Amino acid sequence: MSAILPESGIAGKIAIVTGGGRGIGRAIVELLASQGADVTFFYQSNAAAANQVVAAGVGAGQKIAALRVDIRDAAACAEAVERVVERCGRIDILVNNAGTIRDNPLLAFDDADVDAVIDTNVKGVFNVTRAVAPHMVSKRAGRIVNLSSVSAAKGGRGQTNYAASKGAIEAFTRALAVELAPRRITVNAVAPGVIETDMSKDVRELAGDEITSRILLKRYGKPEEIAYAVWFLVSAYANYVTGQVFSIDGGFKME
Amino acid sequence: MATAITQDEIDSVFPTVAEMVADALGCELADVKPDASLIEDLGAESIDFLDMVFRLERSYKVKIPRGKIVENARGTLSEAEFEQNGVITEAGMAQLKSYLSEVPAGRFKTPTKVKEIPRLFTPVTFCKLVISAQRETKAAG
Repeated sequence: MSAILPESGIAGKIAIVTGGGRGIGRAIVELLASQGADVTFFYQSNAAAANQVVAAGVGAGQKIAALRVDIRDAAACAEAVERVVERCGRIDILVNNAGTIRDNPLLAFDDADVDAVIDTNVKGVFNVTRAVAPHMVSKRAGRIVNLSSVSAAKGGRGQTNYAASKGAIEAFTRALAVELAPRRITVNAVAPGVIETDMSKDVRELAGDEITSRILLKRYGKPEEIAYAVWFLVSAYANYVTGQVFSIDGGFKME
Repeated sequence: MATAITQDEIDSVFPTVAEMVADALGCELADVKPDASLIEDLGAESIDFLDMVFRLERSYKVKIPRGKIVENARGTLSEAEFEQNGVITEAGMAQLKSYLSEVPAGRFKTPTKVKEIPRLFTPVTFCKLVISAQRETKAAG
């Protein structure tokens, strides 16, 4: 049994989590910080929510900081990452969690419905990852986890933009895993099903019964249930996992 | 036309550059000879070049745009004078040999494609890159 790892290896790690002020991102921030990681999260606009997360963490003796960053802006991402590196010296973990949703039938789309989703969910991930990856490459270590969605594989009505963006993230995850594996950096994705957050509120209200009937476990997921999967992928227990998409969706069935 | 880079200048940055090359490639510092071919002798891949540039930028607080080595090597030649359809012209080869003066003559082959130029890179090539970037930073004030 000597090969069993006693520690997750998360304590003392430097982490960046995007979209960490609310919902799933907040649960990820709280879990990693509670395990001793030094977490900086990016948030776009809700300063009150961000401050609350920071205050609660700091009050509990944890290392949590927040930076207001528009991840659609590559220069802003580079600057924010630089600030984290200046303060912490390196980046061990990146969780690309920030995402947005603009459900609409394709025929009813405005250009903005497509742009908003692609710019945040896809370009945003490129922007942050491009800023972080050189630091991981030069340390020859790192963990990147991208948040996909059940929609990537099983997109619902009105979700062509969102489903396409998350499909892109899964492809991005696999391709980047190939590129960074020689530098001992793992890249994985977590694909949540319908989780109880503000972002999924409309979907749950509009199609609640129809959705739960398609979930084998007959309930929505909780943000922390996604955080546990992220925790696993950034822990030492997942040293041998890369290029994978981990579905946490209660057993979501296609129609 | 910028003044030529002197051996003294190269000697002054070489120890730091060599250390970074060794770190980036995970090889012994003793193997990082000034004229070693980074790809052929030290096993560098394209991502290693990006890593080396990243390390040099941070260490020397300079900005090194992508493609800068080839641009520096091209000197005053226009792109059309330097290469035709991706193959380096005769004038281009002369210019390249003079810029990469540390590379033993036997390593240049004719014809050479532009995308094969990185095979010639040595630690001294990166010293020159740093020195020219430092000069540009100074010139920009």
